[in-house]
Amino acid sequence: MYGRSQSRSTGLFITLCASMLLLAMLSEQAWAAGARGAAKSVLAPLEAAMTQAAGNVDRVTSVFGDISTLRAENQRLRAADEALRRQVVELDAAAKENATLRQALDFERSFGHRMVAAQVVGRGPDGFSRTLEVDRGTADGVQPGMIVTTGAGLVGRVREAGPHGAIVQTLEDPQSRVNVFLSKTGLQGTVTGGPTALQLEIEHSLGITATSGEWALTSGVGGGYPRGLVVGELASVTHRDSSTSDQALLAWVNDPASLTLVLVITDFVPS
Amino acid sequence: MKRLGIAACLLVTVMVQVTWAPRVTIAGAFPNLALVAVIAITWTAGVRSGMAWACIAGLMLDLTADGPLGPHAVALLSGAYLTGFWNRNLDRESFLHPAIAAAVSTALYSLVLVAADDTLGLPVPPLGVAVQLVIAASLYNAVLMPFALLLVRRLRAPLTRRTEPV
Repeated sequence: MYGRSQSRSTGLFITLCASMLLLAMLSEQAWAAGARGAAKSVLAPLEAAMTQAAGNVDRVTSVFGDISTLRAENQRLRAADEALRRQVVELDAAAKENATLRQALDFERSFGHRMVAAQVVGRGPDGFSRTLEVDRGTADGVQPGMIVTTGAGLVGRVREAGPHGAIVQTLEDPQSRVNVFLSKTGLQGTVTGGPTALQLEIEHSLGITATSGEWALTSGVGGGYPRGLVVGELASVTHRDSSTSDQALLAWVNDPASLTLVLVITDFVPS
Repeated sequence: MKRLGIAACLLVTVMVQVTWAPRVTIAGAFPNLALVAVIAITWTAGVRSGMAWACIAGLMLDLTADGPLGPHAVALLSGAYLTGFWNRNLDRESFLHPAIAAAVSTALYSLVLVAADDTLGLPVPPLGVAVQLVIAASLYNAVLMPFALLLVRRLRAPLTRRTEPV
C-alpha cells in the first residue's frame, strides 16, 4: 500500500516535472516571446497594487515615534545629496574629459538622452537573479537591451519586455558586467554584481593606484552602456602586486531597496 | 471553493515575495515565502496536493521572473517531493522536522533552479555566490517554517473539521 502510494507520487512528480520543462522549452522559443511577455504583464498591476500597499503600510507603521517625519526628511536629504553627488561627479568627470578627450569623443551626456519614466512594481523572486519589474513595456517604447538609470546613476538593463511591463537586470545581479573608469585616476575596470556589494576589478597602470572615495562611471567600452553614467563610489581597494589587477568594493549609488522610480533610456542602442 | 481560497493565498504569498520580501534581506538572501508555503501545504495536506500547488505557485513566480515559464515550478516541485518523503515516517506534529525539511528543500530548490537555468541557457551565479545565498536562504526559510506551519494548520482546521464524517 505504502509502496504503491510512493510510486504514484513519484509518477506524478516525473509527469509534472516533464510538463514544466516542456513548457520552459516552448516558452523560451522566439515565437513565444510575445505571448510570454503578455502573460508576464498580467501580474504587473497586482504587483503595483501590492507595492503601493507596502508603501502605505510602511507609512502607517512609521507614524509611531514620529519616524515618518524623520524618514521623509531623510529621503529629501538623501535625494538632495544624491543630486549634489551626481553633479560633483559629473563635473569632475566633465573637467577631466574637457582636458583630454572632449575633442576626440562624440558622445551624448546622460541627461541628453530620451527617457521613459517607469515605476518599480516588483523584484525578482529569488536571490540568484537580482531583477526589478517595471510598469512600462513595449507599448511605451521600452525594448530589451535598453539602459535603465535614476537621477543618481546607473540601475541596469532591460532583459525582457512585455506590452505593459519589463524586467530589468540590476547591477546587483551576479551576471551583470559594466566597464567603468575612475573619476580621478582615470583607471579602467569592470564592475560585476554581488549579493552584498558590487565588485570592481581595476586594471593596473604604471605609477597610478586607485583610492577609496573615487567615483566609477561607465566608460562606454564595449558599447554596452553610454559613457559617463555614475555607477558608484569606491568603498575599499585591495592592491595585489602579484596580479595585473586590483580588487575593490563599490558602493552603488542606488539603494535597490528604496528604488521606486527609474528612467529607461530609449534612444541608446547597445552595440 | 477551498481550492480557490488556496490559490488566492498563494497568489498573495507570491506577490508579497516579489514586493515586500526583498526589503528584509539578510546576508544577500531574502525569504522564499512561496517555497515555505508549499512545504507547509505538503506537510499538512500530503505530497500529491503539495506538488500540485507547487506547480501553480512556481508558474506564478515564473511570471514575475526573467526567462521562460517553468524553472521555478520545477524547483518548487522538487522541494515539495523531498518534503513528502521527509514527513512520511516522521512526527508530523513536531516543528523541528519541518524546519529542517525547509532548509534542505531550499538547498534542493536552489540547486534545481540553477541547474534548470543553466540547461535553458539562462545566466547562473558563480558557485561561491550561489553557496552563500543558498546557506543564508536555507536558514531564513527554516526559521520561518514553524510560523508558516502554524498558519496553514489554523487556516486548514475549519475546513478539515467540516469534512469529517459524523
